[in-house]
Amino acid sequence: MQGEQQLGMKQHIRKKRTLPKRVIPYLLIFPAILFVLGVLGYAVISGTLLSFFRYDLSYVDKPFVWFDNYIYLFNNENFQNALVRSLIFVLSSVVLGLILAMSFALSLYKVKTMKNTFKGLALIPYLVSGIATAIMFRFMFSSDVGLVNMVLASFGFEPILFLSSPNWAVFVTVLANVWHIVPFSILILLAGLQSIDNELFQAAEVDGANKYYVLTKIILPLIAPMMGIAMIWLSFASFNMFDVVLPLTGGGPNRATEFMAVYMYNVAFTELKYSLGSTVMVFILLFNVGTSMLYLKIFKASE
Amino acid sequence: MSSQSLQKVKKNVSDNLHWIPLIILVVWTVFPFIWALSASFKTQTEVYDTPPSLIPNSLYLENYARVFTYPDFWTFMLNSVILAITSTILAVVTSVIAGYGFARYAFKFRHVLLMIILIPRIIPRASLIVPLFTGIATLGLLDTRIALIITYTATAVPLATWVLAGFFQAIPRALEEAASIDGARPWQVVWYVIIPISLPAILTVSIFSLRESWNEFPFVLAFTTSSDMRTLPYQLFMLRESMGMQDWPMMLAFTLVTIAPLLILYLIFEKRVVNGVVSGAVK
Repeated sequence: MQGEQQLGMKQHIRKKRTLPKRVIPYLLIFPAILFVLGVLGYAVISGTLLSFFRYDLSYVDKPFVWFDNYIYLFNNENFQNALVRSLIFVLSSVVLGLILAMSFALSLYKVKTMKNTFKGLALIPYLVSGIATAIMFRFMFSSDVGLVNMVLASFGFEPILFLSSPNWAVFVTVLANVWHIVPFSILILLAGLQSIDNELFQAAEVDGANKYYVLTKIILPLIAPMMGIAMIWLSFASFNMFDVVLPLTGGGPNRATEFMAVYMYNVAFTELKYSLGSTVMVFILLFNVGTSMLYLKIFKASE
Repeated sequence: MSSQSLQKVKKNVSDNLHWIPLIILVVWTVFPFIWALSASFKTQTEVYDTPPSLIPNSLYLENYARVFTYPDFWTFMLNSVILAITSTILAVVTSVIAGYGFARYAFKFRHVLLMIILIPRIIPRASLIVPLFTGIATLGLLDTRIALIITYTATAVPLATWVLAGFFQAIPRALEEAASIDGARPWQVVWYVIIPISLPAILTVSIFSLRESWNEFPFVLAFTTSSDMRTLPYQLFMLRESMGMQDWPMMLAFTLVTIAPLLILYLIFEKRVVNGVVSGAVK
């Protein structure tokens, strides 16, 4: 009897000691979960819900409209324009960005003198805000004081109105965007290059392989997965780019640079159609989920 | 020339071929800054000079003087500093605690909870402005610093937690066990053992978060209305909008002033940060 009681007490004490210990990890992660769910989770869920209602300033009540917003969006020519423009923007940014990032990463990998200085330098645009980037590029490509036009003029060319001609505006936006997002992809590629076993190069040298052979037969196949990741990262960043585009062109001229994120902003805060803006958000998120799945697939395949 | 020396030249050339993209890289990266810097020391008429010169006629400091005396400039600066520092501290503290929890404890739903923290990494900040705007409006928090601090912190936590949890996991448990045998309490173990070892990772994560909050633009654009709440990037955007006849030298001086603090911080910690970012980037 006494023994039983003691046993019971012992169990009780053990229980008391182990209970808080089981709670500790939950307590530790609670603040992080609270921030993430409270802000990001809330935004995703309420935005998705909002996309099934009609909510804008012209309506007093908030009727449930099923998929009306989605149907409206897909038939809307401004949305179609934003989609096509975004794809052009993403494609050109990825092609140009990957070429630059790859040649920069290879040269940073190869260089011996001041390697860290060059590496540090390459990362600098990553720290600059999208607006600052936009303003520096606006200045270089402005029609009257822009350096590019001054150089063109000195060769006897007519000045180009870069930011008021639709095609040139896309070109300048791509350039500024690539300047802004390339540093991060250099890092991804550099990490891939640095993980290549040095013995491979030595073996190739012993076999008398030339540089071209080393590049195409050893380096490129080995960092192909990292190139895939860099590519997806570039397309991800470009598809969602807002900070550079809005201050650079404001989406113009004539909606030529109204890419998805800028389109969403204009729908929600210029036209004040919140539920339609949320519908665009859902579309952007689905696109991102798609790209991320691809990312994971490539990453898994590389392991 | 003998064929041997020709081969030598050839080898020399091919050994130094990487300098071509490297020089392009330096020019490509630095030129926009140099050009902006040069223009920021020019007078308003001087920028129209053809041919343009890289070196200004004189060291004209008036543009910077006008930036620093611009109405409410110091308010914007203070707002930027407050938002960047508070949200970074909040995010880093939250992430250190959570990262430790994920790295050292096995618990129910650990995987699910980790996913909840990680998945938002694929959500770009700008895409959330619409629902967050309506939510913040409902709470009556539009045009407040609190709304910005909370949203900045929330967007910084996922990446920070992920990087820190990975770093903590790589620290051998033996270190902590040794400390707890010596009678250290759990929080002492974290404070005196884990945190000092993890300083490089914490520094990297802090720079990530500072970069995000210092440069943040869509949230401050959507959630604030009064000039009291403006930050430097937002004011830069307004400056660009409001100038009919563009005052380029002053605007570029303003641009460079907003870039400078982060750049200086980065140059101080460069070595550690670059390596930290490289390993953080791939995750």
